Amino acid sequence: MRSLLFIGFLCLWNFVIAQSAPSNGMKDSKPTYYALKDATVYVSPTVKLSNAVLIIKGNKIERVGKTGLTKIPSGAVIIDCKDKIILPAFIDLHSSNGISKKEGKTSKSDGVYYWNQAIHPEVDASKLYSFSENAAKEMIKKGFGFALTHKEDGISRGKGALISLNPEAQSNISSLINTSYFSFEKGSSKQRYPSSQMGAIALLRQAFYDAQWHDETNNYLNLSLDALNRQRNSTMFFKTRDKLEILRAQKIADEFELRFNYLGSGNEYEILETLSELNSTVILPLNFPKAYDVKNPYISRQIPLSELKHWELAPMNPSILHKNGINICLTGKDVSSKDFWSNLRKSIAHGLSMEDALNALTLEPAKTIHAQNLLGSLEEGKYASFMIYDLNPLVENAVILESWLLGNRTIHDELSTENKILGKYNISLNGTTYPIEIKSGNGKKTLKGTLRYKLKSGITADTTVNLYVFHNKNDITLQFNINNSELNGSVALRGKVSSRMGVFEGEGLLPNGDWVKWTAIRSNSAKSKEKKTGFIVPADTAVETWYPNLAYGFSELPEKEPLIIKNATVWTNEADGIIENATVVAEDGIIIFVGTGNYPKPLGAKIIDANGKHVTSGIIDEHSHIAISKGVNEGGQAISSEVSISDVVNPKDINIYRQLSGGVTTAQLLHGSANPIGGQSALIKLKWGFSAEEMLIDQAPGFIKFALGENVKQSSSNYSRRFPRTRMGVEQVYYDAFARALAYEKEWQQWNEGTADEKPRVDLELNVLLEILHRKRFVTCHSYIQSEINMLMHVADSMGFNINTFTHILEGYKLADKMVKHGVGGSTFSDWWAYKYEVNDAIPYNAAMMNAQGVVVAINSDDAEMGRRLNQEAAKGVKYGGMDEQEAWKMVTLNPAKLLHLDDQMGSLKVGKDADIVVWSDHPLSITAKVECTVVDGMVLFDKKRDAALRKINQQEKARIVSKMLQDNNAGGRKRPFYKKKKGHYHCNTIGEEKSTEENHH
Amino acid sequence: MGKKNQLKKIIINMKKSLLSLLLVFLCSNGYGQAPSKILLVDGFLHIGNGETIERALIGIENGEIRLIKNALAHSFNEKDWDTIIPLKGAHIYPGFVAPNTTLGITEIDQVRASHDFREVGVYNPHIRTQIAFNVESKIISTVRTNGVLIAQPTPRGGSISGSSSVMKLDGWNWEDATISKDDGIHINWPSSMNSNGWWAEPAPKSANKKYGDQVKELEHFFTMASAYAAGKKIEQQDGRLEALRSCFKGNKRVYFHANELQELQDVISFSETYKIKHPVIVGGYDAHLITRKLSDAKIPVMVVRPHSLPENEEDDIDLPYKLPALLQTGGVKFCIQNAGDMEAMNSRNIPFLAGTAMAYGLTEEEAVRAVSLSSCEILGIDEKYGSIEKGKSATLFVSKGNALDMRTNDVIIALIDGAFVELSNMQKELYNKYSKKYKN
Repeated sequence: MRSLLFIGFLCLWNFVIAQSAPSNGMKDSKPTYYALKDATVYVSPTVKLSNAVLIIKGNKIERVGKTGLTKIPSGAVIIDCKDKIILPAFIDLHSSNGISKKEGKTSKSDGVYYWNQAIHPEVDASKLYSFSENAAKEMIKKGFGFALTHKEDGISRGKGALISLNPEAQSNISSLINTSYFSFEKGSSKQRYPSSQMGAIALLRQAFYDAQWHDETNNYLNLSLDALNRQRNSTMFFKTRDKLEILRAQKIADEFELRFNYLGSGNEYEILETLSELNSTVILPLNFPKAYDVKNPYISRQIPLSELKHWELAPMNPSILHKNGINICLTGKDVSSKDFWSNLRKSIAHGLSMEDALNALTLEPAKTIHAQNLLGSLEEGKYASFMIYDLNPLVENAVILESWLLGNRTIHDELSTENKILGKYNISLNGTTYPIEIKSGNGKKTLKGTLRYKLKSGITADTTVNLYVFHNKNDITLQFNINNSELNGSVALRGKVSSRMGVFEGEGLLPNGDWVKWTAIRSNSAKSKEKKTGFIVPADTAVETWYPNLAYGFSELPEKEPLIIKNATVWTNEADGIIENATVVAEDGIIIFVGTGNYPKPLGAKIIDANGKHVTSGIIDEHSHIAISKGVNEGGQAISSEVSISDVVNPKDINIYRQLSGGVTTAQLLHGSANPIGGQSALIKLKWGFSAEEMLIDQAPGFIKFALGENVKQSSSNYSRRFPRTRMGVEQVYYDAFARALAYEKEWQQWNEGTADEKPRVDLELNVLLEILHRKRFVTCHSYIQSEINMLMHVADSMGFNINTFTHILEGYKLADKMVKHGVGGSTFSDWWAYKYEVNDAIPYNAAMMNAQGVVVAINSDDAEMGRRLNQEAAKGVKYGGMDEQEAWKMVTLNPAKLLHLDDQMGSLKVGKDADIVVWSDHPLSITAKVECTVVDGMVLFDKKRDAALRKINQQEKARIVSKMLQDNNAGGRKRPFYKKKKGHYHCNTIGEEKSTEENHH
Repeated sequence: MGKKNQLKKIIINMKKSLLSLLLVFLCSNGYGQAPSKILLVDGFLHIGNGETIERALIGIENGEIRLIKNALAHSFNEKDWDTIIPLKGAHIYPGFVAPNTTLGITEIDQVRASHDFREVGVYNPHIRTQIAFNVESKIISTVRTNGVLIAQPTPRGGSISGSSSVMKLDGWNWEDATISKDDGIHINWPSSMNSNGWWAEPAPKSANKKYGDQVKELEHFFTMASAYAAGKKIEQQDGRLEALRSCFKGNKRVYFHANELQELQDVISFSETYKIKHPVIVGGYDAHLITRKLSDAKIPVMVVRPHSLPENEEDDIDLPYKLPALLQTGGVKFCIQNAGDMEAMNSRNIPFLAGTAMAYGLTEEEAVRAVSLSSCEILGIDEKYGSIEKGKSATLFVSKGNALDMRTNDVIIALIDGAFVELSNMQKELYNKYSKKYKN
């Protein structure tokens, strides 16, 4: 059905040349019939004709064929293209050519548009486009003749327009090619929402739901939603800034059965597995990172390995993707013309074939926008849009001599004849012969030379003076200063270059004013560089992508393996307590034996002798903000239940590995604490090397973050006008939100019962609130002081649900009895306080006191650093309040598992539970305890010995690439200074997409 | 004779109830009125200099340590002592030190009104933390209960943040809490790698160029200051330059807060150029790479907080943990400090920073030294503080177990200059108060 539709479009679309303004007087004389002969023509990526004739009539190609076999029609202007290369004009699908950045308020929320200014699918690039000579020239320099342009702004960006870069036509634009653009970038919208990537994701999903609803009900006019609905059938492009954004966008595509093509960022080689399963075209940039200036070793040692690896791998991105069966196009976006060509050749040197490179610039983009019957090659009937080069630009540095766009010829450059006159000559002047030499100058078209003469006759030594040479087609001017017995002063000679070449003759002016004849005869032609066919030196492509592609990454992903850990002191967290001399056996990621005596021996099991060592289940961090990209808070609204951290998990955070080295195997990645009702959590296993999707725990219960107190009051800002500003306001936010959710539920009930006239719209925010009310989603609430804790329990009680966990909960000790009654757990810090006003009454005895009253207590990190040594934090339970050691240990293992409703799966060493196991060098609560190995789902993901090896490999890999970079530096490659990025980590109160370097406010 | 009749023999056993009775007694007189002659018997003594005495006799008179003996080899006469405290099984340590901290000059991180550590201005050597030190800081009372008894309140911000002082964590006021007034000035050495921008969009200007200029600016300032210090007659008093005078001649330290290799090298040559008598590097993340150079130059390092994350992705994941051991092996004098997030309240975890350093390569006594004697040597107060040796101030504490381990750090006695320190705090009070709530 869809393909039929496209055929419809194909018939419709065309470049409409606007009726030009009436000419003044007679019509300009202009041929419309041309024959370009003797050229090497790349008719298409796979068809190359040498000695070919290209016949152009009007704006189309009439014929193309071999010279001699192809009749040149009479009346055609014949152009000699001997030795020249003709390539079809490139097509850039990622462009904003001719769309002013400032002009046109594209984000509107007044009028019948979408409420959020970042969603403006109604924006139509064809209405904003104006021809810009400079912008067009820039693209032509890169070989592009067509651009699919759009307004680069917002999340739903609107419709693209295909333009030809032909400077003659005023309106060589086709808006009939049906395309649309999307991104996760809020852009120029003045509204606060969305402030994070997960907010952008939620907003776009909501917009698609709204469009569906609008389509079904169609009771109201909404220009944005109408446009969005139309775009479902368009060629959709999603602009990404990182490979992870492709994965995130694809989830939306799957949800709404859309097909996105991706405007890539250059590191797509890291997500090959996923990309090769999609039917999407990826438009790749050629703005490969420049080498860093690595001459100063103090500075080069600071360059992160991940950046070095990306520098090395980026030029391979196009070829790697192509070889994995992914449709690729190339764009000239964000790269100078010089870098464009050299990087294009670089990607060819790194394994992309010339045909595939040309295809990615011509036919593939034409196919992507279903325009291959008119664009993308130089076959008969297609648009006459191509460039004439002096050499093959895919192989060597070439000059664009002419561009032909929709049949319109523009001459950019002429082949220079200068090199033909280079060489040694003897000038006869006034009876004396002077040897001269003409050499090429600094610029391409400048010449220079020398002239030799004897100061006095009889002297053997020659004097050499500079010779000024000016040359234009057949005219030549030579000028020099001389001081010998015959001439004293300046001599200027003017003459013609003979058609035979090698002979100049003309008249000249001597210092004494005499006007004389002169001739020059070539004695020796310059060793003319034999015109060799250029070739590309293949680059070293034996380069590894690691999992993940940074320090401590695996070159091969570990697999589940059967494990026998024996002779250990085993902390079971079960009725058995601590068992000495025990064995733990795991197979297929599951624990199959814990105890003493005979144990099962799975085939090929890896045996770990833990004699003198302690073995525990993995640590579970109930409150973490590691491994999150582009914003931990959606601070744009006080209620943001529609957003989810699970949409923005970043598997490439080095802190995952660091925490594994501290025995952490599972973490709840929580939304921040900026909002009374924050976002949904991601429950992950720290599966270093795996994708975000693989890290998310299957079938994990849903969680959401709530927050109370100073952060939601925005106490640290003197300017905030957001409601609420007090704890009193916070209470009312909850009542109001849940009342809205209940009303929404009623609307749906009525609709489902058939008693409502209009179908209600899907509201992602309220859907999640209903899940809470129906106890299908659990609440983890950031909280400090007892008044607010008490309040929220009342809110929950009155609404018929309960709070699952209070996190931070530093005054939990004051109302542990009430917490037990409500059935809420506490996840707290061991000893933090004094960081904000509301923690005045925080005491380190809190955990022990709550625990003693029967609250399920966990100790969490909320901090990437402390996450590595939660065992030490648990041990403080012994110090402050005298907890039993096993009870203290449970605060970082079994208890958080209970709080996360994952205790049937993890939290203790028990047959049937996940093989998340840690081997400790010592008593796990002791200050000297170090992790020897961490097992997640039966895979050894941290191992002390391997870690030592990886440290060496990191250094070797770094040294190898730095030395490669140094060669590049010395070879005069383009380089850039290194700037160290400031370290940042997400804190609870970090607002916006970027990590905070501010103090942690928790 | 009459006096001897009043003599109280106090036998403390290790049970908590008796202990608290003892403490009530000991503390009822308030700070500063210590029994004049105290004998600690049979405790495991960690001297602080790397040595231990398994069962020690420690005699204290008028706030000073007068006697250190091995209890197995020496007997004592009960009549010679006012107070005898048997400490068999307990551990005795010199008071731990929190150098380079805002402890005592801040209270709540997010309440600006409680901050007294960052003055306006770029060159503020004349700014002095001593007079802002709040002996009644609620944080302090939660820090000394873990064995930290000495701190160096240190100003922050600017190129030269100001002068720190070394303070006891008990006293009626800042005057009598002072151990070393204006012990040194603190220079935030320019960052060799930083840029003007932020991490996602680095500034286009070369970071290196700016670094050179900033170092020159400091050099300019020091050239002025050293000329001023050399001048015999002062034309006009200059507070800033005056504050640097004893960095050239006297005993005043110059603390260079610097981390990266380039910076450390430059600090070394800067110190030589200006003939600074007591240069100290604070931070020294890269110091392990130039241990030879640092030990040759005799520049000590207050090493970056061990509980911090590695700076670079490929750094050894335990690098901050093992930095102390790397410096120890490299022969660099160093001590542990705790500057960073929530540093004031986190000062109470200094014993565990030493413990972590021990887990990652220091011996136990090296780790103890890194938070006691070494700190005091670097601060220039080791003549009286930092170890439990004859002639030194009786500034020490007793823990029921190993003080470097969270489970066993349980401070039952702390003395500062021989006076018993109040070991209660607001947090313990709240603990007691709310424990009662649940007793019913």
